[in-house]
Amino acid sequence: MSKMNKTIDPAVNYLLPLAKKAGLETAWDRYEAMQPQCGFGELGICCRICWKGPCRIDPFGNGPQRGVCGADAHTIVARNLSRMIVAGAAAHSEHGRHVALTLLEVGEGHAPAYQIKDEQKLRDIAEKLNLSPAGKDIKQVAKEVALASLEDFSRQKHSIPCNWAKETMSAERVDKLAKLGVMPHNIDAVITEIMGRTHVGCDADAVNVLLGGLKGALADYTGMYLSTELSDVLFGTPEPVVTAANLGVLKKDAVNIAVHGHNPLLSEIICDVALKMNEEAKKAGAKEGINIVGICCTGNEVMMRRGIPLATNYLSQELAIITGAVDAMVVDVQCIMPAITSLAECFHTQVITTMRENKITGATHIEFHEDSAFDSAKKIVEVAIDAFKRRDNRKVNIPDYKQTAIAGFSAEAIMAALSKVNAKDPLKPLIDNIVNGNIQGIALFAGCNNPQVTQDNNFITIAKELAKNNVLMLATGCGAGAFAKNGLMTQEATEAYAGDSLKAVLTAIGKAAGFNGPLPLVLHMGSCVDNTRAVKVAVAVADNLGVDLDKLPVVASAPEAMAEKAVAIGTWAVALGLPTHIGIVPQIMGSSVVAEFLTEKAKDLLGGYFIVETDPEKAADQLFTAIKERRKGLGI
Amino acid sequence: MVRVKENFFIYADPRKCLGCKNCELACAIAHADCDLQTAVTKGLQLQPRNLVVQVDDMVMPIQCRQCEDAPCALACPTGAIYQEDGFVKINEGNCIGCKVCTMVCPFGAISITKDINDNSNYRTKKAKARKCDLCFSRIQDNNEVSCACVEACPTKAIMLVDYESYRKKLIEERGKELVRAHTKTKV
Repeated sequence: MSKMNKTIDPAVNYLLPLAKKAGLETAWDRYEAMQPQCGFGELGICCRICWKGPCRIDPFGNGPQRGVCGADAHTIVARNLSRMIVAGAAAHSEHGRHVALTLLEVGEGHAPAYQIKDEQKLRDIAEKLNLSPAGKDIKQVAKEVALASLEDFSRQKHSIPCNWAKETMSAERVDKLAKLGVMPHNIDAVITEIMGRTHVGCDADAVNVLLGGLKGALADYTGMYLSTELSDVLFGTPEPVVTAANLGVLKKDAVNIAVHGHNPLLSEIICDVALKMNEEAKKAGAKEGINIVGICCTGNEVMMRRGIPLATNYLSQELAIITGAVDAMVVDVQCIMPAITSLAECFHTQVITTMRENKITGATHIEFHEDSAFDSAKKIVEVAIDAFKRRDNRKVNIPDYKQTAIAGFSAEAIMAALSKVNAKDPLKPLIDNIVNGNIQGIALFAGCNNPQVTQDNNFITIAKELAKNNVLMLATGCGAGAFAKNGLMTQEATEAYAGDSLKAVLTAIGKAAGFNGPLPLVLHMGSCVDNTRAVKVAVAVADNLGVDLDKLPVVASAPEAMAEKAVAIGTWAVALGLPTHIGIVPQIMGSSVVAEFLTEKAKDLLGGYFIVETDPEKAADQLFTAIKERRKGLGI
Repeated sequence: MVRVKENFFIYADPRKCLGCKNCELACAIAHADCDLQTAVTKGLQLQPRNLVVQVDDMVMPIQCRQCEDAPCALACPTGAIYQEDGFVKINEGNCIGCKVCTMVCPFGAISITKDINDNSNYRTKKAKARKCDLCFSRIQDNNEVSCACVEACPTKAIMLVDYESYRKKLIEERGKELVRAHTKTKV
């Protein structure tokens, strides 16, 4: 660890020595203190599902080969993995449920802080969900869409698949997944089913447990898809916007409010309210008023919809506090390190938790409810202004690093840009360029940061390598954060790193769409819940070509994955037919059956499969090989 | 006369040992010349040189104590086990797997195992004695004294003990106790 670089982010490299000098501990320090990490856990062969355990399987065959109940390494690894997947599904779909319930409230007129910002999209969704919206009042449509979405959480009939899963995939894929018995009928029920079937003494056949995991992953897909689409309805569908990223976006003379977590329901309202409270901040002495910055995926949400700059991504969230310039860090759900409150104690920073089910000891809790969202937001901004008055300017260290970043490439925005090239058939320019090889394929980067690798390095290394090979790249979540902070979401990056034919295509589309130059090298598609945006584009291409997703030269990569949500996303990417790379050795290697299923057998069953490769350059090679293999299959 | 320094040895504090067996894994890997993931994916059957044992409600990792008058070295008929540079060393090439060392070891710290990864058809099974060598092989590689089990222990229950400093500390502690007892009786 000590020999490895911690990060390639210059702002983090600037702050870490300062943190060390001040005795402030970060995730990297805790990671080092945790070394070496438990080998049984690394291999996934420790079972803690019942209290006869913990049971451990000896990976070398000398000691016990079965747990007390008789479960072997394969059963244990498969159960642990499936449980991780549904934890991810639970996190995403709780987020989705929250958004759907809010849309229902809006439809019923109970949530005054919210509006329907994209009526057309709502009508399109209603059309997709077969709700015949024509001629209906928009509020009525909102209600019907919300109810149809919530039905995906409540349907009891196993034979009817979730609306949002069935209507968003190619028909062939739906059919394939239904035949395997992994099409979800009800997100909640699937999560419950998998918790039940992995209980002691139930499903013990590793492959069957894994099929359960696939179903859980597709439930995750469903929850994510509806979450993204309904968020667009409420807050607007993102369009390209030029903004900035990295800690240099904090301002010395402003009340800095960092919104952190994943859910846009509160952060959007905070942005609305903060705009109106600028004068109060100025009265408190902040010459530049209020400066909102984003962290993690809440940051991505407000970045792509409002152009609010992104301060940093997951692994360096603590460094935002260490700048001493954040007056309030407002957090909602997911990926918030509990460490931030103890760090905040060393500064004036107020950490504010907002969700009843997500509190952190040491934080100020200001509970948020949809019906009184304005009041909560106002209170939060007041606390931030108040904290600003206590800021100790001697402790302020804002690193002078920020990069321009173009964000906001929703599926709709990509189609809009393409339609500037060909209005009648927007997909044609994309498909033509894939067919003639100007674009070799498409890679979707997703997922987290992980201290097991140099922060952001895997993302940047793989992207530069693929760019050279003319692969079009999309990114979400902390991957998008990594690209934004390190300058790969710029037109300059396209000039510098893209292969000639990719550069030509990006320039042609960019110029036609009014960018005065090429599109950025990596297209920012949103937060980690937004990966389904990329699926939307891929499905459109697949439908247009009349093939299933597993034939397309499309790959996915989570080179610094960490969260259970990432495990779920990766698994549904495989279920949809994509070769999916992970750059962290997953905790499944203790079972040859599970490892083989996910990296090989899945290919026959689903078309998609996992590629595990920790070396980013080799990973880029393998991803490109997968793309070439697909091209060969299509005869192009 | 040259003064002979007593051997280093590994000692575990049973009050801190949680029985997680991480030291066993680390030991097996340290003696295999590859990392955990590779060993497992390749299906190698690695051998730890230590063993976590449970006696009543105590858990304790057991490994070679590097005895000064080592019964194993005395009993070894081929001279495979011998004293050198402060270790009880073993030259596995000379070992014939006769098990005498395992019989005389007071700690049960030596085991005779065949290298299962060696699949060739031999006239003999080629099993060898395996014992803790204080990660001697690793010391040669990277020129640092670090024992894999000591590094791996999450509760720091396992220590590499330098006998001389250990004894000095012990004497000082006991001395302090005596002094305290003495001054107390005076009062």
